[in-house]
Amino acid sequence: MPVTTKNGRIRNRPSMATSVACAWVLSLLVVTFCSVSHGAFAADTPATVAAPPAAADSSAPSARAKAVAAQVEAALAAADGSVPGAPATPAGTAAGATGAAATTAAPGAADTRSLDEDTQQLKKDVVDLNRDLFVLEEELLFPANTQVAVYVSMDVGEFFALDSITLKLDNKEVTNYLYTPREVDALLKGGVQRLYLGNLKVGNHELVAFFTGKGPDNRDYRRGASLKFDKSIGAKYLELKIEDRQRKMQPEFEIKDWE
Amino acid sequence: MKSFRGWSLAQRCIAAATLTCLCLAASAQGFALLGQAAPDFALRSFSGTNVRLSEDRGDVVVLTFWGSQCDVCRKQLDMLDRSFTTYRSAGLHMYGISVDDDAAHARQFVAAHKLGSVMLEDPAKDVARLYGIDNLPTTVLIDRGGIIRYVYRDFGPRDEVLYLKQLRELLNE
Repeated sequence: MPVTTKNGRIRNRPSMATSVACAWVLSLLVVTFCSVSHGAFAADTPATVAAPPAAADSSAPSARAKAVAAQVEAALAAADGSVPGAPATPAGTAAGATGAAATTAAPGAADTRSLDEDTQQLKKDVVDLNRDLFVLEEELLFPANTQVAVYVSMDVGEFFALDSITLKLDNKEVTNYLYTPREVDALLKGGVQRLYLGNLKVGNHELVAFFTGKGPDNRDYRRGASLKFDKSIGAKYLELKIEDRQRKMQPEFEIKDWE
Repeated sequence: MKSFRGWSLAQRCIAAATLTCLCLAASAQGFALLGQAAPDFALRSFSGTNVRLSEDRGDVVVLTFWGSQCDVCRKQLDMLDRSFTTYRSAGLHMYGISVDDDAAHARQFVAAHKLGSVMLEDPAKDVARLYGIDNLPTTVLIDRGGIIRYVYRDFGPRDEVLYLKQLRELLNE
């Protein structure tokens, strides 16, 4: 449409305001298209966000669902009287019109039981598989020849409330762990925590641990302990032990080889 | 700007749409964790106790990242704190994570605002980085299974109703 400008010139192009308005309309359309087609923008639309767990891992559940469906079908087929070798139910042997109702009720119960057993078996298989994978991962990442593991244990804890432990291996910080009250409680109840798992080559090494927390009289307390050890072929297990020394009324920190 | 005068309407539209898409794509990067398991962390609270996210598995968790210099954060924290007081008994945990450069400012802020929820300090901004925070306030709603369900990167007056609706939805699951 021809437009007259302030200078009196006539131009055929639309005004800037019209262009901007058109651009925004177009961009809105693009945004709408993106929000519909792309899951990354789902946060703006709560309705589509409502079920992200299902979308997060869609392939594995579908395979599992197929497996479960196959098992269900197999179980149903096995429970059906027409399949040879299927367990004969008392209702199935009954004859006559009165037995018809029973024949429908009893296989239903058998189906349910069979399904339940199959489900339990599937769950067990998944747990077993998960365990095997975990063991395999550990073996691959931390082979027994180079493995070094550091554990933490705590006894009594009257003079020391643990807050954090910083671990240095050969002067390099490998972990810094903050303890929550629940974790401290678990340690005080006799729990042992694996603080660090890594790899070390054969030879001499030094482990330094810094313990931070509240000491006697609820004062801030920071102590260190170190151990020089010789790593040979095979796994090495070390223990950080926090104990109370009643005679000195002080906590004691010790690093030792775990037998 | 003169160079743009020669552009046709279609060219301008395409340029505007491209720019909009680029901006949206950039802003969408913060949502990368949406629908995924919330990364675990342990932080020290301003009261001195340590908090680990994984210990709240089974409950609904609200994480809100704030700064003491941010006025909107203040309003949002007040609103969230009211919700926390209401739904605490239903299994709601709320953590405010300070990303202040100066810890003293954050402490003053916490001391001045008597909030019922737990305020955590993230001086190294490790957790903020872990969650891809690039705007304040950012609020993350985590369901009972530990999955990030909603992420909000701003707070407006109308958001309170939406927050409450989604919180109730998560608490009812």
